[in-house]
Amino acid sequence: MKKWLGLALTVGVVVAALTAPWLAAIDPMVTDFASSLKPPGSPGHPLGTDQLGRDLLARVLYGARLALFIGACTVAVTAVVGGLLGLVSGFVEGWPATAIMRLADVQLSFPFILLALTINAIVGLGLRNIILSLSAAGWVVYARVVRGEVLSVKQRDYVHAAAALGVGRPRLLFRHVLPNVAPSIVVVASLQFSQFVVAEAAISFLGFGVQPPTPAWGSMLSESRDFLYVAWWLAAFPGAALALTALGVNLLGDWLRDTLDPKLRV
Amino acid sequence: MRAWIAARLAQTVLVVVLSLTAVFGMVRLAGDPVLLFMPMDIQAKDVNEYRQRLGFNDPVLVQYARFMQGAVRGDFGESLRYRRDALGLVLERLPATLLLAGTAMLLTLTVAVPLGVVTAVRRDRAVDHAGTVLTVLGQAIPGFWLGLMLIYVFAVQLRWLPTGGMGGLAHLVMPSIVLAAFYAARVARLTRSAVLDALGEDYVLTARAKGLAERRVVGKHALRNSAIPIVTLAGLEAGQLLGGAVVTETIFAWPGLGRLTVQALLNRDFPLVMAAVSFTSIVYTLMNLVVDLLYGWLDPRVRSRA
Repeated sequence: MKKWLGLALTVGVVVAALTAPWLAAIDPMVTDFASSLKPPGSPGHPLGTDQLGRDLLARVLYGARLALFIGACTVAVTAVVGGLLGLVSGFVEGWPATAIMRLADVQLSFPFILLALTINAIVGLGLRNIILSLSAAGWVVYARVVRGEVLSVKQRDYVHAAAALGVGRPRLLFRHVLPNVAPSIVVVASLQFSQFVVAEAAISFLGFGVQPPTPAWGSMLSESRDFLYVAWWLAAFPGAALALTALGVNLLGDWLRDTLDPKLRV
Repeated sequence: MRAWIAARLAQTVLVVVLSLTAVFGMVRLAGDPVLLFMPMDIQAKDVNEYRQRLGFNDPVLVQYARFMQGAVRGDFGESLRYRRDALGLVLERLPATLLLAGTAMLLTLTVAVPLGVVTAVRRDRAVDHAGTVLTVLGQAIPGFWLGLMLIYVFAVQLRWLPTGGMGGLAHLVMPSIVLAAFYAARVARLTRSAVLDALGEDYVLTARAKGLAERRVVGKHALRNSAIPIVTLAGLEAGQLLGGAVVTETIFAWPGLGRLTVQALLNRDFPLVMAAVSFTSIVYTLMNLVVDLLYGWLDPRVRSRA
């Protein structure tokens, strides 16, 4: 049940994002003052239009592209950077490991969203910078989980056996330890994905991150606040899209964890 | 035990010092605070005078030393916008955030923990399924969207509650529900799995075998033993309320620390940003320390592991 609902929602959002140019016949940026703030169900605008007469369906669909793109990039960056740092700090003992873990402690002394927001306010607005800020604030989870796994995996007999056979340390790490840690990386990635998508929306909502007129769910919700009294649909649909995305990915992540790594708590 | 506490304290002090360094480093990376704050058409002479007055002309190391010295004494300098002691502004906003977070916590404890227990005891029954749907939704629905929808229904349409601001009890209802939603959903799930774990233990079997009423088996044996993981994880997660407050307070125009931080960031008021972020980080770190010490006290195995 969990699995199928999660899979259906996730696939649905991915397909909607990929086929946005065909699903929405209208350009999400084209304004049309004559038909501004039309309610859902208006001819040609199934979800209505916003204050500038832009088609809401098109904007929500293109918003899915942006959200998934940011989520995927951030997960990729944090998985590689955090995963590598976790591998190294678990495998190599001594000061580099201590330094990495102290850095992780420092990052964990800030609430995630506050750290990502502050970094974003400093590095600046735009797509590249939001990915950078979320990655800078989010790699720690991987580093910690992977380090913990490596610490236990490297004590296993097959690792000792490989070392006794004269396998070099880099090969030992990437051929014998990494494949056994990989399931945890996959589980963390799926559980982090929705956190990144929601955080990006929250940061854009607060006025940083992705700026209008780019159709991002967060900045659309932010703009919708001024029209809450007259146009509920501007707040309802982008938020529902965001919630459904988060729901689908969360369910999929839960299922992955139950299947691959039931003991993992993130 | 004493050595363990000392080690944890020393580690906390180190983390706080490093976090303050990180805050200083982040803000310095942003560029010249005066130029960023000032209007575009200001004259160079005025910029320089301002810079000199605030000490931004000194070498970075000197500024760092001054920042750390000030931080120890609770002096983060003067807000560029409000021309007042930055930490004073932060402390002024603190009670509002504490009230909001405290209410959210209370809501969580009175709703989420019982929900977790009931869904564990009635596993795979209708209550359990309904509870699961609720907690899964609670974790997926972003707080700021929930906030907007609640405002639309209860403030715009029904006119039962105010849209925002701080005042009577009515003002507290929506912000605390929004802040609690995600946290409560997590706590309910944690409670459910902890109680389920405990119900599978031998001592529960023994208690049942000797004929104890189910109410006592759950209340006395299962719940007592699952209290440790619940308290720990709930405590660790409680820090996230400080992060959630940033968004929640902005939606509901709640005059707390989170909204102050967002406004300071938007205004590029960097002394105030430093004060607010440092303060939040220190509170967060201390909360984690308290939870850790509590855990070590409840469960001796933790002490030996560290």
